Amino acid sequence: MKFFSRYSFFFKSIYEYREYLLQSVLRDLRKKYKRSVLGYLWSMLGPLFTMIVLTVVFSNLLPRVHNYSVFLFSGLLGWQYFQQTLNSGMPSIQSNMRIVEQVPIPKFIFVISTSCSGIVNFMLALVPLLLVMIVVGQPLQWTALLFPIVFIPLMILTLGFALLFAVATVFFDDVKHLSRILLSAWYYLTPVLYGPELMPPHVLRWLQFNPLFAPVDQLRGLFYRGTLPELLPYAYSLAFGVVILGLALWIYERCDDKFVYFA
Amino acid sequence: MNSAQDGFFEEDIIDLESSKKDARNALKQVAGDSSHSVGKETDKIAIDVKNVTVRYRAYAERPGSLKEHILRFLHKGKVRYYSSFDALSNVSFQVEKGKFIGIIGSNGAGKSTLLKTLSGVIRPIVGEVFCNGSVDSLIKLGAGFDRELNAIENIYLYGSLHKISRDDIKERVSKILDFSELHEFAYTPVKYYSSGMYARLGFACAIDMNPDILLVDEVLAVGDERFRIKCSKVMNELLDSGKTIVMVSHNIATLERRADTIGVLSKGKLLYYGDPSEAVKIYRDDLRYETSLDGNRLS
Repeated sequence: MKFFSRYSFFFKSIYEYREYLLQSVLRDLRKKYKRSVLGYLWSMLGPLFTMIVLTVVFSNLLPRVHNYSVFLFSGLLGWQYFQQTLNSGMPSIQSNMRIVEQVPIPKFIFVISTSCSGIVNFMLALVPLLLVMIVVGQPLQWTALLFPIVFIPLMILTLGFALLFAVATVFFDDVKHLSRILLSAWYYLTPVLYGPELMPPHVLRWLQFNPLFAPVDQLRGLFYRGTLPELLPYAYSLAFGVVILGLALWIYERCDDKFVYFA
Repeated sequence: MNSAQDGFFEEDIIDLESSKKDARNALKQVAGDSSHSVGKETDKIAIDVKNVTVRYRAYAERPGSLKEHILRFLHKGKVRYYSSFDALSNVSFQVEKGKFIGIIGSNGAGKSTLLKTLSGVIRPIVGEVFCNGSVDSLIKLGAGFDRELNAIENIYLYGSLHKISRDDIKERVSKILDFSELHEFAYTPVKYYSSGMYARLGFACAIDMNPDILLVDEVLAVGDERFRIKCSKVMNELLDSGKTIVMVSHNIATLERRADTIGVLSKGKLLYYGDPSEAVKIYRDDLRYETSLDGNRLS
């Protein structure tokens, strides 16, 4: 029962602080490009250049894949959202200590705001993806319109892990270093550079336990292959996300009173 | 954070976790699960503080690594790298609506802790805080400001942090800029502001939230004479309209002149709560007593 009351408090707080979430996303966008000439274009150029570099390297290694640039880009989308939100969400409670000291605000709001900024970046990255698809002559798939459905479990998972890490960072500096190692390993366990069809079945079986495996691959399915997501992996990721976010909220609740002493 | 007290770094004998749990459980039975409540109780009372104790953990230099926590877990609580002390112990007082309350005390007496407890940021381990109406605090000016943003963007950010809708903030922007006299610099990032300008913006924002209870720490010292007069005018208007102000200050003379009631804190205890001139006398005695103790220690 407590599990549900925690979640209802979570959603209630998001509703109460919706204006702050909007303002802090605007803040992040404004700050990011304050002194740059190209401004918001960087949100699109960043993923584009990552894609180009990786394509140059890997398209020769994996010549079997048709239009590797689109294949890679559609895989990078989900992963980059996860990675960016985790990296910026992790220090978010700590860096907002001045607010924590003065306003009785639920601290997970700061993590949610970084996740919202991540969503905006995700949307912006869709623009260069479409451009690349047109340039290399990859047919556009109608299934691409379904991306919000696949995004939901990814969003919940990301929020759960980011909150878990954000709470831990307040108390242990070690988490920052730990996460760097964790993320680089996680990157290779997630089908970004490769697809599940390139993996031998006995390896694939184990890889599918990675909760990020399905969302990243399914996003690629929608944009690149034009296939609909399979239900079982989808449900697995969604359930994993709900449990991990619940766990994060439980730990958050237990530490709630102690944050202010670390200001 | 409050500074060193006697026995600051001595290992404490009290098991914090269990005493905290006991206190919480006792509290649950008395007051439901909430130790900080906002709502209506009696219409005349603005703040009601009952037997409040706040316990701080004084951590050793390192906030603790994962290894230490694992060790501690394995030893079942035998490794402890912090000691604790009471920043507030058994503090009780009531504030009527429309009053100006001063809180004085030497450094580390628990003044800021008291304000943070009133604002609901710190939850006491024992006791209850009741605030009748909305509370806003000026503990550090411009908490919630982003130094890279300009004044207008910061007003939006600050307002949204206090759950004010965009349309409402829109109406307030020019009023806030008027009061803080920053129209000229409205589009300058606040990191280029002087500390006085920054303080003016922070104060104007907080005042504009129109809280029922305003908590003010030593933050107005930065403004110039003119701005200070302006601030005290606004605070008088607030008081006249039935709002309550609790102010912490080392400017004893001003507080003695203006406050309706003064509370004297010393080492987390409320020595006195009442008539301003009497309070100042007790505060001075307490200072003299502490100085004499220091003298003894030195010799």
